[in-house]
Formats: sequence, structure tokens, C-alpha cells
Amino acid sequence: MRKTTRRTILKTAAAAATVAALPINANAQSGEPIRIGILTPLTGAGGNDGPRMLKAMTAVFDEVNKQGGVLGRRIETVVEDDQTNPEAAVRAARKLIEVNKVPMILGTWASAVTAAVAPVCWESKTFLMTVSGADSITLLPHQGFLIRTQPTSKLQATAHGEFMLSQGAKRVGIIGIQAPFALPNKEHLENTLKPKGAEVVSHVIYEKDKPTYRSEIDQMMRGKPDYIYTNGYAPDTVVLLRDLYRAGIDMPKFAQSYAVPQATLDTIPPEVSTKVYTGQPSADIESPAYKLAADRTGDKEPDGYVSQATDWASMAVLTIAKAKEASGVAMKDNVRKICQGSGQKVYSAVEGLKVLAEGKEINYEGASGPCDFTDIGDILGCRFRYMHVVKGKLEFLKLV
Amino acid sequence: MEVLQLIVNGLMAGTILAVPAIGLTAIFAVLRFTNFALASHMTIGAFAGFVANVTFGLPAVAALGFAFVIAGLVGVLSDEFVLKPFRRAGFITTAIGSIALTIALENIVRFIFGNQLRGYDLPILRDWNIHGIRVSPQQVENFVVAVIVMAALFAFLSFTRVGKSMRAVADNPMLAAIKGINANVVARLVSFVAMGLAGLGGMLIGLDTTIDPLIGFKTILQIFAAAVVGGLGSIPGAVVGALVVGVGEELSLLVLTPAYRTAVGFIAILVVLTFRPRGILGQRAY
Repeated sequence: MRKTTRRTILKTAAAAATVAALPINANAQSGEPIRIGILTPLTGAGGNDGPRMLKAMTAVFDEVNKQGGVLGRRIETVVEDDQTNPEAAVRAARKLIEVNKVPMILGTWASAVTAAVAPVCWESKTFLMTVSGADSITLLPHQGFLIRTQPTSKLQATAHGEFMLSQGAKRVGIIGIQAPFALPNKEHLENTLKPKGAEVVSHVIYEKDKPTYRSEIDQMMRGKPDYIYTNGYAPDTVVLLRDLYRAGIDMPKFAQSYAVPQATLDTIPPEVSTKVYTGQPSADIESPAYKLAADRTGDKEPDGYVSQATDWASMAVLTIAKAKEASGVAMKDNVRKICQGSGQKVYSAVEGLKVLAEGKEINYEGASGPCDFTDIGDILGCRFRYMHVVKGKLEFLKLV
Repeated sequence: MEVLQLIVNGLMAGTILAVPAIGLTAIFAVLRFTNFALASHMTIGAFAGFVANVTFGLPAVAALGFAFVIAGLVGVLSDEFVLKPFRRAGFITTAIGSIALTIALENIVRFIFGNQLRGYDLPILRDWNIHGIRVSPQQVENFVVAVIVMAALFAFLSFTRVGKSMRAVADNPMLAAIKGINANVVARLVSFVAMGLAGLGGMLIGLDTTIDPLIGFKTILQIFAAAVVGGLGSIPGAVVGALVVGVGEELSLLVLTPAYRTAVGFIAILVVLTFRPRGILGQRAY
């Protein structure tokens, strides 16, 4: 008779654990995959952010798939490029919904794109998650089929106004692209500046894709500003910065961080970008979810977009698990049940799946922030991270 | 003073537009279709110039020559192997084929170079202020290059045997064939010169801004408007049309907000074609 040793007990336990785990993994491989649509800008003005957002989402889904998937099914992504172009985005969204039958679309970036894609989504009961900031987005009659992790134009412009005030701005000239956020931003800036004795002295809206904005700059300068607020995307903002430098305008300039990424700064001589300040909704850099996102993507300091994309993918997985089905309606009805409330705090999809499997309630706390949403799909608040350009390189300035 | 500044800005912008617009109209004059693949050849020229300037360290003027030659060669190959078979199916099919071609070529550039914005290795100089009118040295340089290239092209068409053959085929292909002019050779030559000009134009725009794979696509509508306003098929017409569109867009800022700029080119098409259906200078090639 064989003697029972500690080693054989351990071996048996390991074998038992493997066998116990088998049905889950086998099930994960055998079920029909859950298809999730990803519609990010891989080209066009958002081409700098879209691919990184895609990578962040894929990393979350890969991690979940390695642990056996969700509801015993693998997550499969169907990726389309919205080209930062509303018309191309609508075509791509229709393809995702009608051909690939996805229950949700993650990733629209430009406000004009989201405004065009959102009706296609809510009409087909497809859930949409976005980073578009224009106030008008969540005011659309989306019936709950939309949430965004990006702060509204109001939150952003108010924060930007306060930043410019802190820098001593008294007369702000706004020059920005024709976009849904153009006029609301101006209004919110005026409302922030006026009570503090500062004002918006000129506001010029330009068209995208122009090789020069010399005449537009002349128009803006007629208001005699002492601080310039640029409100565009990267391809037009770089043209603007070059033309401002050529015109000898050396006053401070503020831009959204997505309009002046380091890759853009690398295309221009350092003297052109002096006194350029950027701001962006900050990721929650102290959150465990943020650290996990950094490890998962291999990005030491994931920015707001990578963090938000991480959160969409995680919320998608957890909502499907909570609702026990992958449909747009289930997403709409259950997304708030996994990311706000008094449930156990979790910081990743895999962790959340384990807690849900134990029958407990969860509250997903994301890499971008707490991921608590209002009834119309806006986040309740966030921090802002400001950078300035020193010798052609972006350097951290402050977190507010 | 404001009007004068706007006119100067418009002339600078229009002159740059004129270079690829000549290419578009030259192809129409000889091959009788609108080749929208001009857009991707602008992109190819801009990136060829980038490689010459940034990778090989050549000065901008030499890089412009590189942009011309590479875009011209790609133009000949793409016409020979892609668009030529389409031509038998007619004008519309070939024009649509050229749109497909431009998207394919643009994506090849994207595959090789990626999406990010790139800039040439050039200093950015402050504007000159001449009696209250601001002029950028880079724009003046681009303006001079564009004028020299156009002058060289007109001399080529006027004084060389090959240039005269091209005009003959454009004006009366049947008579040119009777005279023994080989239409295939002229087609290849026109593709080379026209797409070379597109490449040059793409790089000229890039010198003043930045480049990305969409650089040609962003400007093709303005170029098309310029060629139509001047008279599609007329080479001097392309120059006149580009200046009208360039100056018109700038002057429109006196009464319109900049957000409506692009509409001006198309309003110009409507106005000109209403009174002169063949464009300002008609359709005679030269």
C-alpha cells in the first residue's frame, strides 16, 4: 500500500483544484464570444489618443479572457476607425451594430463624432461610452444609452478659466475650432472670468484643415488680449502656434492637453511653444485602478484617455456579469449598479468578477476617477492636471 | 490696411494652391477625367520631401525636387497599372477609381509613416513687417518656388517639342494622333508632371504647417474648386482659379466669420459657372 505523504496530499489538492477550474475555462472557450464594438479615432485629429485607448481596452479584455471570460464566454472586440469624422463614424457604427451585432460601442472621442453616432446607438438600443466633453452630448435624448467619463465642457472650461485667472489673465482672447463645444466653452469661460474682474475680449471660430490661420489671429488680436485660450485639436493647434510665433505674439497660451501632445511639440522648434500651458481632466493617480492600468498597458503614467478607456472596458465586463446578459438594455439598466453605491470597492474587472461571483455587490472605482454618474450620464466631478512646456517638453505644473 | 493684409494672405495661399491645381487641370486636359488621386500624391510628395529633408538631411529646395520626382513616378505607375484600365469604362468610372486609388495610397503612407504629425527640419522665422503688412519669410519662399515652377512649366509647354505635343493632345487628340504624336507617351508624361506638381504642392503646404497622411485629402476640395473656377482643362485657368479662391476666402472674412471660409470656394464655383459655364478662362489647355 502506498504511503500517504504531505507531498501526495499537495499533488492531489493541486490536481483537484485544476479539475475544479476546468469547467470554467472549458466553458469560457465553448460559449459564443461576447462581441464588443470599439470605435476610436485611429486616424485624423484624434489619431494620437485613439490607438492608446484601444490598447488600454484590449489589455483589460485580455486579462478577463485569461481568467475565463465573463458568463463563461470570451470577450471579442470588433474595432473600427471613426477617422475623427462624423460621417465615417456613423458608417462604422452602423456596421458594428447591424453586421457585428454588438450590444455596446466604446470609444468615441470628438464631440461632433459622438453627436452623430449617439442617435444611431440609442435608436438600436446600443450602449455608448465616450470621452467627448461637449455639454450638448448628455443633453441629447439618449434614453440612458450613453455615459461619459470625461467632464462636461462646463466643468472643464470653468477649471481652465480658474487656471488662467491664477496666472494673472485679465483679457482673454479665444480662438478655436468649429465644434459643438466652441460656444458653450466661451460662455462658461465668461461666467468664470467676469466675477473675478477679467473678461473674454475676442472670440474667433475657425474651420479645421486650413494651412494657415493668420487672418483669424489678426481678428482675435483686435480685442487686445493678454492671454490666449486656444480651443482646437492637435493638427490645427500646431498651425496656430506656428502662426502666433511668426506674428511675434509671445503672450501665454492655454490649450487642452489633447491639442498639444508631446508628439506635436516634437514637430516644432522649442521657441514656438514657449509660454504654452495645457490642462486635462486628470486620471486618479492615487487609485489602485490607475496603478493596475499602468502595469497592464506598460505605460508608466497613463493619461486621462488611457484611464477612461480602462474604465469603460472594466465597467462593460462587470455590468455584463451583474446583468447576466450582454445587451444594450442590460448595460443601461445595470451600469450604475456596479460603479456606484455601497458595494465592495473593486479596482479591476477581474477583481470585480470574483466579488460578484461571491454574490456580493460591488462599486467599481476607476483609473480615471470614482466613475459615479448622474442620471443623464455625466460624471460628478474630477481633478485637473496642468502642464507647461519648457524647452519643447511638457512638464508637470500642478494638480487641482 | 486690413484689406491689403487679407489680399496678401490670399495671394500667398492661392499661389501654393495653384501648383497642384495645375496638375489636376493638366490631367483633365489630356486624359479627360478628374483625377482625385492627386490628393494622395500630394501626401506622397510631402513625405518624400520629409525623408529627403529629415532623414537624409537635404536642404528644403533639394527636398522639393525629391518630392516632385517621387510623386511623379508614383503618378506614372498608378496611372499605368490602375487608372488606365478604368479609362475604357468612361469618365465617371475613372474618377471614382481615382478616389479609391487615393484612399489606398494614403493608407500605404499611413502604414509606413504612422499617423502622427511631422514637421520638416526648418527654423520658423518671425514675420517681416513691411509698412504694416505682415509677411512670413517661409511663405515668400514658397511663393517664389511656386512662381518659378509655374514659369518653368509654361516655358516647357510653350517652347519644347514635348510640351507642344502635350498641348496638341489636350486640344485635339485626333489631330495629334494623325500628326504621329504618341498619346500613350504623352499620357505618361502628363501623369509624371501633374503628380510631380501635386507632390511639390503637398510639400510646400507642409513647409508652412506640418504633415500627416491626410495632408492631400484636406486640400483636394479647394484645389478642385480652383481648377473648376479657372476652367477645368485650362492651365492658366488653374492659376487664376487658385488666386480667386485664395483671395476670395480671405476677403470673405470682412463679412463672414472664419467658420464659413470653405464655402467661399464653392460659392465661387456656383457664381462663375452660372455666368461662364466653362470657367473663367474656358477649357482650352493653354
